[in-house]
Amino acid sequence: PKATTAMAKLILLCLKFVTLCGSIGAVFEDQVGKFDWRQQYVGKVRFSHFDTHVQSSKKVLVATENNVFAALNTRTGDLFWRHVDKTGPEGSIDALLQHGQDAVLVVGNGRLLRSWDINVGGLNWEIVLDSGSFQAACLSGQQDNVKHVAVLKKTVISLHYLSNGHQKWIENLPESETVDYQAVYSGGNGEVYALGVVPHSHIAIVVYSADDGEIIKQVSVEAPWLSNIQGSCAVISQGMLTCVDPAAVSLYMLDLHAESQMTQVPLQSLGLEVVPGFRPVLVSTQPNPAQQPLSEFFVQLGPENYVLLQLNNGQIVTLRDFKPAMLVSFVTAGEKTVAAVMSPKNKTACSINLFSAETGRRLLDTTMIYSLDPNVGKPEKLYVQAFLKKDDAVGYRVMVHSEDHALSFLQQPGRVMWTREEALSDVVTMEMVDLPLTGTQAELEGEFGKKADGLMSMVLKRLSSQLILLQAWIAHLWKLFYDARKPRSQVKNDVTIENLSRDEFNLQKMMVMVTASGKLFGIDSKTGSILWKHYLEDVPSNAAFKLMVQRTTAHFPHPPQCSLIIKDKDTGLATLHVFNPIFGKKSHVTPPALPQPILQSLMLPLMDQDYAKVLLLVDDQYKVSAFPSTKNVLQQLQEMASSIFFFLIDSSQGRLSGYRLRTDLSTELIWEVVIPTEVQKIVSVKGKRPNEHVHSQGRVMGDRSVLYKYLNPNLLALVTESTDQHQERSFIGIILIDGVTGRIIHEAVQRKAKGPVHVVKNGYEYWSTKSRRNEFSVIELYEGMELYNSTVFSSLDRPHAPQVLQQSYIFPSAISTMEATLTEKGITSRHLLIGLPSGGILSLPKMFLDPRRPEMVSEQSREENLIPYAPELLIRTEWFINYNQTVSRVRGIYTAPSGLESTCLVVAYGLDIYQTRVYPSKQFDVLKDDYDYMLISSVLFALFFATMISKRLAEVKLLNRAWR
Amino acid sequence: MASPGRQGGGGGGGALSTRGGSGARRMKWALELSLGNTRSRGDRQGGQGDVVYPIGYSEKPVPDTSIQETDKNLVEKRCWDVALGPLKQIPMNLFIMYMSGNTISIFPIMMVCMMAWRPIQALMSMSATFKLLESSSQQWLQGLVYLVGNLLGSALAIYKCQSMGLLPTHSSDWLAFIEPPQRMEILGGGMVL
Repeated sequence: PKATTAMAKLILLCLKFVTLCGSIGAVFEDQVGKFDWRQQYVGKVRFSHFDTHVQSSKKVLVATENNVFAALNTRTGDLFWRHVDKTGPEGSIDALLQHGQDAVLVVGNGRLLRSWDINVGGLNWEIVLDSGSFQAACLSGQQDNVKHVAVLKKTVISLHYLSNGHQKWIENLPESETVDYQAVYSGGNGEVYALGVVPHSHIAIVVYSADDGEIIKQVSVEAPWLSNIQGSCAVISQGMLTCVDPAAVSLYMLDLHAESQMTQVPLQSLGLEVVPGFRPVLVSTQPNPAQQPLSEFFVQLGPENYVLLQLNNGQIVTLRDFKPAMLVSFVTAGEKTVAAVMSPKNKTACSINLFSAETGRRLLDTTMIYSLDPNVGKPEKLYVQAFLKKDDAVGYRVMVHSEDHALSFLQQPGRVMWTREEALSDVVTMEMVDLPLTGTQAELEGEFGKKADGLMSMVLKRLSSQLILLQAWIAHLWKLFYDARKPRSQVKNDVTIENLSRDEFNLQKMMVMVTASGKLFGIDSKTGSILWKHYLEDVPSNAAFKLMVQRTTAHFPHPPQCSLIIKDKDTGLATLHVFNPIFGKKSHVTPPALPQPILQSLMLPLMDQDYAKVLLLVDDQYKVSAFPSTKNVLQQLQEMASSIFFFLIDSSQGRLSGYRLRTDLSTELIWEVVIPTEVQKIVSVKGKRPNEHVHSQGRVMGDRSVLYKYLNPNLLALVTESTDQHQERSFIGIILIDGVTGRIIHEAVQRKAKGPVHVVKNGYEYWSTKSRRNEFSVIELYEGMELYNSTVFSSLDRPHAPQVLQQSYIFPSAISTMEATLTEKGITSRHLLIGLPSGGILSLPKMFLDPRRPEMVSEQSREENLIPYAPELLIRTEWFINYNQTVSRVRGIYTAPSGLESTCLVVAYGLDIYQTRVYPSKQFDVLKDDYDYMLISSVLFALFFATMISKRLAEVKLLNRAWR
Repeated sequence: MASPGRQGGGGGGGALSTRGGSGARRMKWALELSLGNTRSRGDRQGGQGDVVYPIGYSEKPVPDTSIQETDKNLVEKRCWDVALGPLKQIPMNLFIMYMSGNTISIFPIMMVCMMAWRPIQALMSMSATFKLLESSSQQWLQGLVYLVGNLLGSALAIYKCQSMGLLPTHSSDWLAFIEPPQRMEILGGGMVL
C-alpha cells in the first residue's frame, strides 16, 4: 500500500506540474512598472485642511465623498497616505476636525469617532459612538488648550477626550422631540453650546459645562422666521449668534451669554442689497477652537457679490464690498487672519487677492492669476494655505476645487504646481481607440474631409492621401535617423498630442474615459498621462452614459469619431456629444436634435460614405432615428431593415421585448417575455461584444472528433434575482435567450443564492446562502457533433436546441467585477480577469472553468488536457496581474485587443486606475525580454566565419592534392 | 625533424633505401639490393613500379567477354532480385514499425519518413529500373512486381502514419479551416437607459 500511495502522489504531482506549466504568468522584478501603471485617486473633496502645526509642512488633508481620507503632498500632488473606508453611508465622512497633528473624523453618520496622526497616517484611536443621526461636531478648549471634541447628535451631546477618545460625558438633549438641534459651538471658556431650532418658532440654546456636562443655562428665543441654523447662522465675535433672514433681508443677532431678544439689523441700513431670489450666506472663521471666533465675517449677497462685515462694539460696520467676487475664504497664519477673494478678471482668467480681515485693505503683492481653461469646470471652493514670510508679510498658496472635481494647487504669481483630476475616481464607461499613424496626418484631415464623388476624384483623393502617408512616413524615418545619432539621454519621450503615433504592434492606445461628473478624458495607455480633457457642462448628476466608437482611425483622412449618449434619467431626454477621441475636440458634425426621450441605441456595422458606422436611436415611441442620416445611409437601412433587430429590457416592469425595423424606420414588436416583477427582477443583461472573435468553431475531443460550439451572436444572458430576500427562499436565475426570436434557449436557477451576480460571456458568480460561500458556475453551449449550417448563422433557422453543459465551483473570495480577455483573432486561450474586493486582479485561466472537467480521469480526458474536477478554485498568488499594485474598489475592467495576438490590454478602474498587458498564452509571438541577441549574433558570425575559413582551407587542400 | 632517425635507420639496415627527395639529392648513387622495396620510387612515378614489364603485359586481368548460355539465367536471376527487392523489405519494415511504436517523437518520425520516402523515390526512378530490367525477357512482369512491392511499401508507410495519427482523416483536423458563419441578423439594444 505504501508504494501505491507514493505512486498516487507522484501522479498527482505530475498532474499539478502539468497544470502549472500551462498557466504561469507572474511578473519578474525588473518588469515592474514597465508595461503597467497605476493612478490613485481620492474622489470629490468634501473637507480639506492644510496641516498648519508645522510651518514647513507639505501636507493637505482631504476627506472625500468617496469615503476616502488622505494626505496629499502640496509640492507634487502625490499621496502621502490614503485610507479607504467602506462604500456607502456606512463609511461616509461626516466631519473633519484638525488640531495639531491629530485629525478627528466622524464616520458613518456618527457611528465612529476616529483620530488619525497626520504625520504618518496612523490611527491614534477609534471609538464607537451610540447610534443616532449625526448633526455637528466641534473642538472644545479652555485657556488656549484644546482637549475635547464635542459631538452633537439628534438626541444626545457627548464630549470626548482628544488624547484617547474616551467619553468624558454624555447628556440627553432636552426636548429633543420638538427641537431640531443642528449646531454645536464652543468659545474656549469651558462651555459648550448646543443650538437647536423649532422651525418657524424659536431657537433653543442649551449651555453645558465642559467639565461635567451639567446644564448651565437653557434659553429659548423667539425666531419665527428661522427654519435652519446650519444654512443661515454663524457665531461671531464673543458668542454672537448671527443669522440672516432672506425674507426680511436683514441680519439677526443674539448674544449667547445674555438672555435677550434677537436684534434685527436690516441689510439696507448698511447700504447693502441682496440680489433678488438669492439666499444670503454667512462665512465666519474661528482660527483657534480655544478662542473666540473673529468678529469679521462675510455675507454673500449674490452669486458674485460678497461683503466683509465687522462687529464692532455691537455695531455692524461694512469693511469692504467685493463685487464681483466668486469665492472667498478666511485663512490664518500665525496671529494674522486674512481673507482670500477670487474675482473674475476676464473671460479666461481670475485673480485671487489677499485682504486684511481686520481692515479690509488689500495686501500688497498678493495677486495670483488663475487661468480658466474652457475644458475645465468653474472653481467651486478655495482652500488657502497661508504662511508668514521672513519679513512678516503673508504669503499663500491656493488649492482650487472646481466643479469637475479637479484640484489645482497654485503658487504666486499663478503657477499651477499640480492638478489632480479627481473625476477619474468615478469612471463610468470607457473605450480604447487606436492611435493614428502619426499626429501630423491627423491634422491634415481637415483638407481631405471634403466629399468627393465620381471615380476620377475618388482616385485622386486616394492618391493624394497615400502621398501624404508616404511623406509622413519618410519624415518619421528621418526623425528616427536623426534621433539615433543623438545620445540617448537627450531624446525625450514626452508624449503630447502632437507626437502621438501608433507603435508597431498597436500596444499604445488612447483611453477615452467618461466620468460621472461629465468630464471626458483622453489618456495615453502607455504612460497614463492625460492628453486631453473636456468638461461637459450641464450633465445631470444621475445621467446614464453610453459611449460608442463610430469611426476608428483606420479611415484616414476622416477623423476618428466617438459618440456619447448622455441621458437624464429623470426627464428621459438625451443629448449626443460627438467628438474626436484622439484630440478630444467636439466634432464639426452636428448631432441630431433629440426631442423625444431615448430608450436605447444600436450601433450597426453599416457605414456611410465617410466610413462612420450608423447609430440608431430608439425613442419612447419605438421610432428609430439614424445618425448620420444621409441619403446613402437611409437607402442602406431600407435595404437591410428586415435583418435589423433590437431588444429592450425594462427592468422595472420585467418586460423583455424584441423589435424588428421596418423600412420606414418604424418598428414592429415581434416577441415579448414578461418576467413577473413580484417574484424576480432583471438585474443585468450581457450580449456578445461586437469586436469579439472566436477563432475555433469547435473543440477537439479525445477521440479526435469535434464538438461544435453553439456560437450564436444574438444570444443574451439575462440575470434575475428574487425579490424575496429570505435566505431560504431567495434564488437567482440565468436565462439565455435569443435576442432575435425571443426563444429561451436555456434557463438555470440557483436556489438559496443571492446576488450580486457578475456575469461574463459564459460564467457567472453568486453568493450561496445555503453554504455561505461564493460560488461560480459555468454554462457552455454546444451544437453537437455536427454543424447545422456552417456558412451562415440565422437565429430564425435553428431547429436544434444546443447541448448545455454546466459546472459549479467554490470561489474563495467575493468578486467585484469580471471580464474576459480579448485578443485580435481569438486564437490565444482565454483568461477571466476577476477584480477582487481586496484590490487584486486575478487572471484565471479559462481551462479551470470548463464544464467538461471530468470527475474521473480517463484516457480521452487526458488527451484533451482536461483538469480533473475539483470543487474549489484556488487563487494562486502568481495569477494576480497587478502584483502589489492594489486597485481600490474595482468597478470595471476593460479589455482591448492589441496588434499582437498574444497580448491583451487591460484597464481596471474604480477608485484607482490600473493599466497593464496580459498574455494568456504567454508571449508566443514575441522574443523574450532577456533574449540574448549578443550570444545568438556572435554565434552566427562565428559560424559564418568558420564556414568561410574552412571553405578556403578545403579549397587549398583540394588544390594541393590535385598537384600531387 | 625526422632526418636523424632516418639516417640512423639507413645506417643500421642492410639495405640502403633512398626515402624522400632529400636523401636522393644527398647521395650520388645508390644500389638497390632488394627488388621488392620499390615503393619509394613508385610513389614518385605514380604507381608504376620500375620493374619493366614485357611488352603487351597488362597488370589488370582481361575480362572474359565471351557470352555463354548460363549468363542469360544469371541476368534473369539478377533482374528478379531487383524486382523483388521492395517486397523483401516489407517484413523488415513491419518489424521496425512494430518496434518504433505509435508515439510521436523524433525516432519514429524518422523511421516513418524513411519508410515513406524510399518507395516514393523508387517509384520516381521507375524508368531507370526499367532500363536495368531491359535485358530480361520477363521485363513487364518484373516491372509489375517491382511496382507492387513499392506500392505496398508506401501503403505500409501510410498505415503507419494513420496509426500514429498523422493523417488528416478526422473532422478535427479540418477545424481550423472552418470559417466563422456569417450572421444574418443584426441585433442591438439592452436595458432601457
